[in-house]
Amino acid sequence: MIFPEGSTRRTDHKAASETVYDAVIVGAGISGAIIANELSRAGKRVLVLEAGPGEDMDIPGYDDYLSRFYEAASKDNQSPFASNDSAPMPRSTDVRRIRPGHPDASAYFVQNGPFATDTTYTRALGGTTLHWEGKTLRMLPEDFELQTRYGQGRDWPVSYDELEPHYRHAEREIGVSADVEDQAYLGISFKPGYVYPMRGLPLSYLDKVVAKGVDGTKVALGGEEYELKVRPFPQGRNGIPNPGYDGGKGYRPVGAVSTNQVEEGGRCQGNNNCVPLCPVQAKYNALKTLAKALQTGRVDILPQTVASKVNIDPGNGRVTEIEYKTYPEVNSKEYTTGTVRGRIFVLSANAIENARLMLASGLTSTSGLVGRNLMDHAYLLAWGLLPEVAGTFRGTICTGGICDLRGGTFRGEQAGFAIDIHNDGWGWAMGSPYTDLVNIVDDHNKFGADLRRELIARISHQLQLAFMVEVLPNASNRVAVDASFKDQLDNMRPVITYNIPDYSMRGVAYARQTSRRIFQRTGAEDYTMYDPTDYGYATYDGQGYVIRGGNHLGGTHLMGTTPRNSVVDSHQRAWDHENLYLVGGGSMPSIGTSNITLTLAALCFRSASHMITQLRHDTAPAEVAAG
Amino acid sequence: MASHKITSVEQLHTYLHAAMMLEHGTIPPYLTALYSLHPGSNPDAFHVIRVVAVEEMLHLTLAANVMNAVGGSPDLTTPDFVPDYPTYLPDGETDFEVSRQGFSRECVETFLNIERPGEAPHEDARLISRKNDRGQHLCGSHVESEMRFWSIGEFYEEVRRGIDYLHEEMGDALFSGDPARQAGPEYYYSGGGTLIAVTDLKSARAAMRLIAEQGEGLRGAIYDAEHELSHYYRFEQLLRGRYYQRGDEHGKPTGPTLDVDWDAVYPVKQDATIDDFPEGSELRAAGVQFNQRYAEFLALLTRAYGGSPELLIDAVVEMFRLRDRIGQLMRVPIPGADGVNGAPTFEVSRVPGRVES
Repeated sequence: MIFPEGSTRRTDHKAASETVYDAVIVGAGISGAIIANELSRAGKRVLVLEAGPGEDMDIPGYDDYLSRFYEAASKDNQSPFASNDSAPMPRSTDVRRIRPGHPDASAYFVQNGPFATDTTYTRALGGTTLHWEGKTLRMLPEDFELQTRYGQGRDWPVSYDELEPHYRHAEREIGVSADVEDQAYLGISFKPGYVYPMRGLPLSYLDKVVAKGVDGTKVALGGEEYELKVRPFPQGRNGIPNPGYDGGKGYRPVGAVSTNQVEEGGRCQGNNNCVPLCPVQAKYNALKTLAKALQTGRVDILPQTVASKVNIDPGNGRVTEIEYKTYPEVNSKEYTTGTVRGRIFVLSANAIENARLMLASGLTSTSGLVGRNLMDHAYLLAWGLLPEVAGTFRGTICTGGICDLRGGTFRGEQAGFAIDIHNDGWGWAMGSPYTDLVNIVDDHNKFGADLRRELIARISHQLQLAFMVEVLPNASNRVAVDASFKDQLDNMRPVITYNIPDYSMRGVAYARQTSRRIFQRTGAEDYTMYDPTDYGYATYDGQGYVIRGGNHLGGTHLMGTTPRNSVVDSHQRAWDHENLYLVGGGSMPSIGTSNITLTLAALCFRSASHMITQLRHDTAPAEVAAG
Repeated sequence: MASHKITSVEQLHTYLHAAMMLEHGTIPPYLTALYSLHPGSNPDAFHVIRVVAVEEMLHLTLAANVMNAVGGSPDLTTPDFVPDYPTYLPDGETDFEVSRQGFSRECVETFLNIERPGEAPHEDARLISRKNDRGQHLCGSHVESEMRFWSIGEFYEEVRRGIDYLHEEMGDALFSGDPARQAGPEYYYSGGGTLIAVTDLKSARAAMRLIAEQGEGLRGAIYDAEHELSHYYRFEQLLRGRYYQRGDEHGKPTGPTLDVDWDAVYPVKQDATIDDFPEGSELRAAGVQFNQRYAEFLALLTRAYGGSPELLIDAVVEMFRLRDRIGQLMRVPIPGADGVNGAPTFEVSRVPGRVES
């Protein structure tokens, strides 16, 4: 995929400030890229502001990300990206345990607690999809009507059936590899005859070892019986194109992004570091969509430009312009300010940054819900050693798992969850294989062939399960701003107040029970240990657990049916500002038990058609802006 | 000159076997140059060479598909399948030698020679006497052993004419092969080109056209029918320090600049043979082992092309292993060779006993 050379330098701030664009988009991640591409293909002029550094994306640039990751001592999600205090990012390595009454303001997030979240997002061209894992589960139909069915959470203003065609758009854009027969469960339905763009990626050997023990296990929950089965996950990475896709037209996978023609980015090679970065761009990242959008010639992009304030016309609530701060180089304290204008404005900077920008602009909405209902999946990890060599560390990070407890009547009482089988062993929980290596060398004095044997023996038995537990919207989990906490460009930083609700903790407790059951069935020795001094330590019913963040941020401008119960309508348009769209995970009224990217991408496709219709019918704002 | 023409299915099989040898024959030189680059350095050069090498593997498989379609049996285990390097390729009236060598300007010049578009000036010039050849020639005529083709392009032109001629004579009976032996598009993709299952004249022509055009371009154009830059111009970018982009004329790339670090290269032994590695050295053992594994790999491909295309998935895994072994050989100085490093020798002919497919 050709990234048109010079795109990131072509537009200067002065020229941009003199143009009234059809749409101004804040944030060049997947949401912004999809909307920029859809609008520009409909002939609209689009400006994208990106807070992070922005060079044209070519192979050497991508290789720089890779080298930084390879050389980094910590292999966390942000390790490929240079730190940038001009547009800082949260980083899991920054998180500290919060003492009650002592917020931690030592890093970008100001964490009020009581729970310290290690959730992250990436401020760079392509956004968080650079380090996403690439799981592309659809939400369950019941996730859209949780309140009606189970008296919990919120219903969505759109149903699964209404979103289904947009799921298909998103699956095409991302390039999903999966087989319908594996994914039609718990009511998930597909258009008759549908096949995914590419065939499903196979289960890993580790998955099969687990399946041997687990498949057919029955668990009773809330008076019902559920049978467990290891099934492959749909993946946003290139597999074997399905010739039956699109009525027999097939699918052409999208390769690596570069300013010149390259043929990288073909098929997934099973490298074990999808997170934080696919070495060959077989995994989708939003640069692929962004490059396509830039090819239209109707999309301008201003990198190193942090949107700092949304200005509205107090008379009618319409957005008149967005103020920005642009910095000359990464980590610079210097900046200049300016404004940009459009007929519509789209905030696509993720759930936390969208809310931060709105609140920094004094826009709390009629409902008062901007920044509230912050959600992220609560991950519980459990790890053990299998009795046999299971080939751990082969394949992508996660190829299979157990989805049978994602839905059911038990959700009236406790959270559902999906279970990931981690092909990267104890990596997330214990830092394997690097920690194993250090231990074998430093504490066991092994070297040469002995070291190799010992390392392989140790890691190839590892089994780590990750339980992705649902967290429901809760108004007291929130993003706020406070003028006493600013970054070095004088932008207010996000102040996070967050706790894991009991509903989710009941799910966590049940997840731990389920892990014991799975270890029993597979003959694994349980090595799980939750350290009470860990920043993610949380207790429920006398038991302690360590919870990790999922980087699946939602809820901060959730969609609903009226201006009083929500921030945006079902098209992600702000109730209070008719030319402003707040898009992405923040619009989701619940996050169910699927990684949110596919669903938020589907929402963006739906919103893009609405925006095109609005631009066609609505001529007023150009005059307002021109005045 | 009628006598050199392909007039029988057996002759066509001979040509297609030669085509597979030719396509494969470029792979050891490309891989040697590719992996001689210091890891992480020279991303531009790395990706240019890599994509060409991958496409040669596509061409090899396409040639095998055509061979299967016309009732032949692709065999990569024949004794002379892997040439002894340096080996000859034609470049118009003169020949040039292709070596296995580390990445350098000279090496890229050789690659340009390999991929050079070459249409003979007139019909009678397509075949040239090979009386001056010292050894194996990868573009020899397989009907007239004293002659070889003007260029790779003319060699493939001959195959194309042969297929057309035999189809006229025999009709669809020419395509007598079992379609289940075809490796379809699911087994390959890169950004450009695709595997074509060959079952009839149309698909056979398409496969042959892809092989010829991807290398040399479409009759002199820098982009082929798939809008892909041809191999010749890909390599030329490395010497010119600038990428081509759509609409460019040859010799005048106007795309982004690129950087080549000619020194970030392992000093690998040119056309290394096992005899260059001292008896009893670990390097020699690793070199011998590599050749064994490479012979087994060619046997695996032979089985894949012999009715089990699904084995091409296993072959991918094996290619990763070969890559790692090549890397190991190239990082080790040859004892007593004054700073010259080892290299894979691809001397399959020296592997004891024939590796059975």
